[in-house]
Amino acid sequence: MLSRVAENLYWLGRYIVRAENTARLISVHSHLLLDLPRGMKLGWSPLVDILGANQLFAERYGDEWSEANVVRFLITDAEHGSSVAASISAAREILRTVRDSTPRDAWEQINGLHLFLQEKGERHLPRAQRQTGLDRVTDAMLLMRGVLGANMSHDVGYQFMRIGMSLEQADMTTRIIDVRTVDLIQSKTDELRPFQHIQWMSVLRSLMAYQAYRRHEKIRVSGPAVLRFLLQDRGFPRSVTFNLNALANALPRLPAYRGSERSIDRVRALIQDASFDRLLERGLHEWLDEVQIGLGKTHEALSCSYFQPAPSTVSTQSQSQRR
Amino acid sequence: MAIDWGDYRCNGFHDELFVVPGEPRAAARHLVDYLGSLSAAELAERRLAAELAIKVMGITFTVYSEGRNVDRSWPFDIIPRTLAKTEWLKTEAGLQQRVRALNHFIQDIYGKQRIIKDGIFPAELLSESANFRKQCVGMKPRGGIWAHICGSDLVRDVDGTLYVLEDNLRVPSGVSYMVENRQVTKRVFPELFEAGAIMPVDDYPAQLYDMLASMSPRLGDTPTIALLTPGIYNSAYFEHSWLAQQMGIELVEGPDLFVDSDDCVYMRTVYGPKRVDVIYRRVDDLFLDPEVFHPESMLGVPGLMRAWLAGKVALVNAPGAGVADDKVVYAFVPKMIRYYLDEDAILPNVPSYLCMNADDRSYVLDHLDELVVKPANESGGYGMLIGPRATKREREKFRKLIMADPRNYMAQPTLSLSTAPTMTDGGGIEPRHLDLRPFILSRSDSVYVTTGGLTRVAMTKGSLVVNSSQGGGAKDTWIVDLEAA
Repeated sequence: MLSRVAENLYWLGRYIVRAENTARLISVHSHLLLDLPRGMKLGWSPLVDILGANQLFAERYGDEWSEANVVRFLITDAEHGSSVAASISAAREILRTVRDSTPRDAWEQINGLHLFLQEKGERHLPRAQRQTGLDRVTDAMLLMRGVLGANMSHDVGYQFMRIGMSLEQADMTTRIIDVRTVDLIQSKTDELRPFQHIQWMSVLRSLMAYQAYRRHEKIRVSGPAVLRFLLQDRGFPRSVTFNLNALANALPRLPAYRGSERSIDRVRALIQDASFDRLLERGLHEWLDEVQIGLGKTHEALSCSYFQPAPSTVSTQSQSQRR
Repeated sequence: MAIDWGDYRCNGFHDELFVVPGEPRAAARHLVDYLGSLSAAELAERRLAAELAIKVMGITFTVYSEGRNVDRSWPFDIIPRTLAKTEWLKTEAGLQQRVRALNHFIQDIYGKQRIIKDGIFPAELLSESANFRKQCVGMKPRGGIWAHICGSDLVRDVDGTLYVLEDNLRVPSGVSYMVENRQVTKRVFPELFEAGAIMPVDDYPAQLYDMLASMSPRLGDTPTIALLTPGIYNSAYFEHSWLAQQMGIELVEGPDLFVDSDDCVYMRTVYGPKRVDVIYRRVDDLFLDPEVFHPESMLGVPGLMRAWLAGKVALVNAPGAGVADDKVVYAFVPKMIRYYLDEDAILPNVPSYLCMNADDRSYVLDHLDELVVKPANESGGYGMLIGPRATKREREKFRKLIMADPRNYMAQPTLSLSTAPTMTDGGGIEPRHLDLRPFILSRSDSVYVTTGGLTRVAMTKGSLVVNSSQGGGAKDTWIVDLEAA
């Protein structure tokens, strides 16, 4: 397995998960807005916050935080590297370069979705058509994961792709919690309480976690319980702990394993020891920052061990920052 | 309305499917009858199905246009081009003979240069050759094979004779499209394959793999083979990844490889460095090794020539093989066949006038309005003058070019390239000009020729330019075994 191919497969995993989560996030947010009272408009800026793209948004659209602008920015804007279309197109470019080590139907799947977004993406931005377009994206991404899991040899390249997926999901889950909870914590007045409930449910829904939460927690939706579920649950595939465990299991299967798990253990300890009642009172945002830094260190450790060219020669390009 | 073959006119050209209007050739009869049985709606449907298949399968080629690279769907005509197996067998033998002679020639040129000493091949042609690599002098690759992979372009003139137009010995491309064209045709016209008379083409990747493996400097072990590509922005990248995938070999770019102090080539893998035995390079000579050729090349590998000269790695095709891929050297191939093999050429060359010879030159300058003038070292149909279609100004420009650098120009009569029925944008059927590019693989002990090859067709009415970079398309090529039908 070439180092370059390993790195590409790792990023393929990240882009697949990123596109799917972003699409889902937009879809859930669109629904949430319909349920909130007039006086409490969340607006669309939180979604741009989640992806850490405020500055770029301002450059592209000024301070026009209209629904149309944000939705375009998040779905079809090619200049925005984390838009759904940009993630799909990056995943497609990667699949072109690793066509020889990935199943052909994976290419056909991503190519089909890419063409759909190029040709019909704009048409699916307005509310009435948005859901159909976003469903197409999430379905295609789930299909991709299925095709890759079922038809690709589970060799070392596959491990790199899985690692990319786990790391991205852990990252997206913490981002979604972070931005969504900022609003929640701020709205403490009594009359908004019922809507707080709706918002916590939307946090769960953004991660397809509502049903699983109800089954496992068997309690009504409450802030600390939701955080516990999304961060600590071992069985739910989008929880941070689930993904960190998957990472920790995959790492020893990599060749010439040089111990990139220390950074993961630190994040895992951080999450296991957390008290969410207290964090919801104060310091959740800073705490989530710490988790994200830990995830970033894990990426760097992988990159140093496997993706960077051997030190004997001069590298001409650096690809560590793709977000 | 369905196809009415009675309306199809051959316009005085040799047609690949018809002897005369209304009378299909034996190899095409089944196809012509079948197409005639389809309604216009059915035919349009099949064409849509083919377009969709090409899009979905992602069969693309890349063109550089308006300052950026655009990925275009492969332009494909659904009506196949047919050839009888009996004719093909003779063509195959001719190509094998030709490539054997070419490999002898290249080895001789980088060795004792007997053909020059014996007065058959002029020394000044060599000294002015753009593709002669002095770094290769004295080298002898395994089995004396330099041009492991050759793509020869065949054209048919009005009298029905198949001529060799040129031999591409540097990095010929197109073979993936040959195989993919068949895949698409099988999806679109499955009924036609039931009779079993159409010979399969999908053996190529296996043949190529075996040839590459046989070139390994470490015979005995399973060799590590890599395809070196310039990267995703190269127009043939689709083919590079396709071939690597079909053969299960590594697809590498220059920075993935390095040459260590032991002169061996290694690739950077997640397991650490891994030695590479054979490199099927799709990078031009001059970009292969910045230590020896273009120092600013980012596509190559520093030290690669050193590793090759030390016999630690096989390069396919060998550097310097392009010395025989020169439209002036081409004119000497029949003499090479006579000289090295003591045989008569089975396939004829197109008659050629070499501007370096005073007599030929004055003929060319007097007949610029009739001839096709080609520079020695261009490929892809660039830099040519098609006399009968050129403007007076263009002809005058070429007059000056020829006078300034006669060695670099040759001319041939404008051939009336054969045609085949081709679907127009409007859904009608009209004749379009075409050629054929078979691919020839050479090993120490045998020479393999693809079954047929890639048929390229000029999609524009009357055009003779078949290159995909200039509006050409392709057709599936059927070698039809009439005895099996």
